[in-house]
Amino acid sequence: MNQKFWQSEWFGPLLITVTAIVIVSSLNPSFLSPFNIQILLLAISVNAMIAFSQMIIIAIGQMNLSVGAIGGMAAISFGGMMEVWGIPWPIAAVLSLSIGLLAGIANGALCAYTGISAFVITLASLSIFKGINLGITEAQPFYDIPDTVKSLGNDTFLHPLPWLVLPAVAAAVLLWYLLFRLPLGRAILAVGGNEHAAALSGISVPRIVIVAHAISGLLAALAGIMLVGRLQIGQPTIGDDWLILSFAAPVIGGAILTGGHVSVAGTFLGVAIVAIITQVLVLFSIDPFLVQVVLGGLILWAVGINRYREVRAHRKIAAGAI
Amino acid sequence: MNTAQRVLAAGLSLALLPSATLADESTRVALVPGGPHPYFAAWEQAGADAAKDFGLGSADYRVPQKWELGLQNQMLESLVTQGYNAFLVFPGDPVGTVAIANELAETGAPVMALAGCLKDPSEAVFCMGTDTGNSAYLGTKELLKQLGDGAKIVHFTGFLVDPNTQLRIDAVAKAAAEGGAEVIQVIADIDAPEPAEEKINAYLAAHVDEVDGIVTTAWVPAVVASNALRKIGDKRIVMVGIDHDEVVIQAIKDGFVHGTMLQNPYGQGYIGSFVADRLRSGCTVKADAPFKSNALTDKFIDSGTVFAGANDVDNYVGSMQSITKVLFDEFESTYLDC
Repeated sequence: MNQKFWQSEWFGPLLITVTAIVIVSSLNPSFLSPFNIQILLLAISVNAMIAFSQMIIIAIGQMNLSVGAIGGMAAISFGGMMEVWGIPWPIAAVLSLSIGLLAGIANGALCAYTGISAFVITLASLSIFKGINLGITEAQPFYDIPDTVKSLGNDTFLHPLPWLVLPAVAAAVLLWYLLFRLPLGRAILAVGGNEHAAALSGISVPRIVIVAHAISGLLAALAGIMLVGRLQIGQPTIGDDWLILSFAAPVIGGAILTGGHVSVAGTFLGVAIVAIITQVLVLFSIDPFLVQVVLGGLILWAVGINRYREVRAHRKIAAGAI
Repeated sequence: MNTAQRVLAAGLSLALLPSATLADESTRVALVPGGPHPYFAAWEQAGADAAKDFGLGSADYRVPQKWELGLQNQMLESLVTQGYNAFLVFPGDPVGTVAIANELAETGAPVMALAGCLKDPSEAVFCMGTDTGNSAYLGTKELLKQLGDGAKIVHFTGFLVDPNTQLRIDAVAKAAAEGGAEVIQVIADIDAPEPAEEKINAYLAAHVDEVDGIVTTAWVPAVVASNALRKIGDKRIVMVGIDHDEVVIQAIKDGFVHGTMLQNPYGQGYIGSFVADRLRSGCTVKADAPFKSNALTDKFIDSGTVFAGANDVDNYVGSMQSITKVLFDEFESTYLDC
């Protein structure tokens, strides 16, 4: 806790974010227009939830390939319950969150008690959850989304701050509190740091794995529900594109893929960096056939800058110790 | 299936009451898109109607879980073992799908490329789909009718891996050049809601005052752009969309979108299933059939496209009915020897 703020893992992403905002807005002043800020915050809010969903699994040293499939299943459940059964949206939201929670618990239980790697388990469950999605929807969107949900997904409570910022900020604060202030969170990081040592110190590793996957499923479901509001339809393809972002943002934010170390603020800033990069490619009319190449290159650059800063910091600390 | 699609399917089915009666109940047609996408949803009803109207054993819509060539190939092989003996396939890749199409044809099953073409040479009997370049060209022309000289337009389009995307980009550019307009931006790879939402809104947020017109040539961008214009409340920007999603149709009615280029997925599935059965019953494709050519094949049949503006949008089902009926009525005599 005595770490200086410029040595913290989120300082690099913060520096990149601020630099990017300054450069882009000087080249294109409309970047900071209220409407564009609103669009940017909408993207960041949903994507932060997706990144957090993966981050909590990275914290225990695993990976969850089914984040998008769980989010998609929750999204079409939310839309379907409202359209087909006429269930009021708050109840449909709670039921859809429960579906995400159960899917996460199922993932966690299978990982914890079978000994099979999370990669394999979540690869299989990805297929199952996506199959359920397609079985229910037959690839058709649910259109009858209540106006309140559409409004929550697109409107602002304080211009240009959209309503969707609130659950994203709440999730960030709660996750930070869980991971860094509660014994449960410490146990999650301990399992990720060294599972064997955690078990020897009395932590129930299976319980922690199930809890982490449950939180991941819940956050993925929340992202899916938020997207239904934002897109104004229950689209079966929701979640298909989440995988790269879900890993990129935590890694940009300083997470260690082998577990034990994640940063909530860093992940949030990682999401912001990816969102800004995506916008920049549009604002500066990059050739559509080159967009993927440029996006990948810029993400690598952002990760590289952060890594370089970390290595330099560690060298300085080591040199000081000598 | 939503209300509009049910109405469309029922309307088309009633209108096309079959003339063919020599159907083979052993015919089992599989209609296989490249992956999940709302455009293909009409194939399901088209297959069901064709099976009923022509007395086929079945004509089933089978969707691969993802847009992945390997998954589609596995599904097609599995369908052969399940007893399907005719295949209507949207190629996951115009070249990559040729091998599996040839394998299917070797089993004696008629294979047709539907909605998208295979690269020649292939064993597919023909390719039936929208002349995508022509649709994009006509849509842009409709847009430019509403705009003056020197108009600045943007083009929102679909997956870059879809070979139709480049045809659409070229066609829009050609129509714009002919009409004295400038395509100031092409945003592609957004035929999925999340990237479409992010990129279209970001673009409009920054450039809304610089844009006179929007042409969209893929389903999802049309939906997202319609919603974006409604959100901005901008009726100054003229937009021509594509397809018949409820959101686009309602935006036309409300004046946020000028019109849409209708395609004919129902007709593709319905007529394709009919032809599959006729080919299994001994008909052959005429050697001198008047196929068109496109960048991929010399055996192309245009399943039709028509513009629906504010005056036509209430009767868009009728518009699609009429293009399907024209194609169906003349198909056997034009393309088949029976």
